[in-house]
Amino acid sequence: MRWLALIWKSLMRSKRRTLLIVGSLVLSVFTVAVLQSLLTTLNAVTNNPNSSNRLVVRHKSGLTQMLPRSYEAYLRQQSEVETVCALQWFGGYYQDPRNFFANFASDETVLFQTFREEFGVSGITEAQMKDYIRDGAGCIVGESLAKKNGWKVGDTVPLTGTIFPISPRLTIRLIFKSPKPSDENVLHFHYKLLEEGVPRMKGLVGSFWLRAHRPEDIPRLIERVDRHYANSAYETLTETENAFNLSFVKMLGNIGAIIQGITAAVVVAILIVTGNTMATAIRERATEIAVFRAMGFSAGRVLTLLLSEGVLLVGVGGLLGVLLANLAAGGVRESLGMAMPFFADFAILPATILSCLVGALAIGVLATFIPAYAATRRPITEGLGSVG
Amino acid sequence: MNTDRFDLGGGEPIIILRDVAKSYWREELEIPVLQGIDIEIPKGSYIALMGPSGSGKTTLLNLIAGLDRPTGGSLEVCGYELNDLDDDELAAWRNAHVGFIFQNYNLVPVLNAFENVELPLLLTGAGRGERRDRVDQALTLVNLTDKMRNYPRQLSGGQEQRVAIARAIVTDPDLLVADEPTGALDAKNAEEVLALMERLNTDLGKTIVVVTHDPKAAHHARHQIHLEKGVLDRTVEVNR
Repeated sequence: MRWLALIWKSLMRSKRRTLLIVGSLVLSVFTVAVLQSLLTTLNAVTNNPNSSNRLVVRHKSGLTQMLPRSYEAYLRQQSEVETVCALQWFGGYYQDPRNFFANFASDETVLFQTFREEFGVSGITEAQMKDYIRDGAGCIVGESLAKKNGWKVGDTVPLTGTIFPISPRLTIRLIFKSPKPSDENVLHFHYKLLEEGVPRMKGLVGSFWLRAHRPEDIPRLIERVDRHYANSAYETLTETENAFNLSFVKMLGNIGAIIQGITAAVVVAILIVTGNTMATAIRERATEIAVFRAMGFSAGRVLTLLLSEGVLLVGVGGLLGVLLANLAAGGVRESLGMAMPFFADFAILPATILSCLVGALAIGVLATFIPAYAATRRPITEGLGSVG
Repeated sequence: MNTDRFDLGGGEPIIILRDVAKSYWREELEIPVLQGIDIEIPKGSYIALMGPSGSGKTTLLNLIAGLDRPTGGSLEVCGYELNDLDDDELAAWRNAHVGFIFQNYNLVPVLNAFENVELPLLLTGAGRGERRDRVDQALTLVNLTDKMRNYPRQLSGGQEQRVAIARAIVTDPDLLVADEPTGALDAKNAEEVLALMERLNTDLGKTIVVVTHDPKAAHHARHQIHLEKGVLDRTVEVNR
């Protein structure tokens, strides 16, 4: 018999209790891991390093209000600006309204330069780009979106509009790969197709996406653009791409505080449950602990054995919890990644796994230490019930 | 029977108690349990501590076995002055020098007989093979090799106590202490256990101190030490 066998056998003396506590730990660690990963994913949306020199110009009153396309000329004139890309959320679906994914009408001529990090331009040939630009009914799609729908270059994709009363039939001209999965769940088609199909959109656009030469130009550019259009019929709100994305995340409320609040509640609850379970388990073994000490096990060694049991218990629960969370992350990516592209990047990161495991082990130590320490300080004769 | 006050015969003493006292405190109130215990017990003795309930016999056994500390006096057991040892040293001393036999056997329910006997050896630094040999020897001595994979719940009371005895002797201690070792056994099993303990004393030379109310159990000892209200009353040599 080895020490680990002794610890394991002690732990399994009440299988039902051990399974129940491991089960509650698995659920708790799973919940914390998923919630913290959700927070990490949302933070990544609003802290995208690829968008450090991109700006969004939109109507000051909100996203549903349009801006004149004529603004494009002024924006292009700014010396700090590299490209200006008109972009409109189309909101169409393919075959089934439930088959929802991000699709945009955008200025095909500058799209690749403006979003060069996302399109992984290095993998796209000049000929492929020209192929798309030449075909007014052409479209480009990300690889994961194409895979999901079984599309290949040359296929026709009928897109049914939900916001705009047109249903363009698009031909796939290019399938691109991106460094991030979330950037691959998207389709772009020519802006002209929207303008021509929807008369009320003639000369209007939802937003302009600017690419500045240098990130340090951005504050100056924001201030100048908004000042230029102040008090006009179409006042602008210019912000960084990260700030723009943050406004969507904020629609969910103070999600950070909510997640941290739930995490704290889960941690406190599991600490109480584990502490109570360990206290009961140790109290039931008062005589056995006294026998161990009578045989020569020092108080420190008994304390170590009991702490090891607690740590092993939560270690197993914690490991299973993060494993389950990892499995669930795949499901989240699969089921939500299309409708909300940032979920395509949803993953339980190593840092989250590590903090969950460290947290679980800390709970094990905290929950076990007090009852275990008390048990080892109790006089042996009391534990044996032999006074007199 | 031969009745002489505190004369346990000659021989090298293994237990030397000098003016040992023990009191418990209940809030402000001191409750003396043992007072002025002065006795030398020679190596190889088989002693039965007897007396009415509350006379202090279990407390005296606990002090001799290093499970408790006196509030006065000195105890030298197996060559060590126990008052000089700190808690960890005392634990190591118990592992090396004392084997314990309890009334309720106190086997670990999740360990089988072999593992229960092996338990004290985990502290000795003995390798796996050596531990296996010593456990085998101990179980052979108590005639339970065929039950070594059985768990306590699969053993009779008498078998459990024999496993407990094997556990007590597996480290080859100088001293065996037993608190009512037959208290939970029927007459037949009690007799077997007592015979086994007697053999450990006569054949292996173990010094045994046993607390008992049972005159039959006490009759197996060579000497009986009677306590009365926390003081030594008399010693009785048993003519077997």
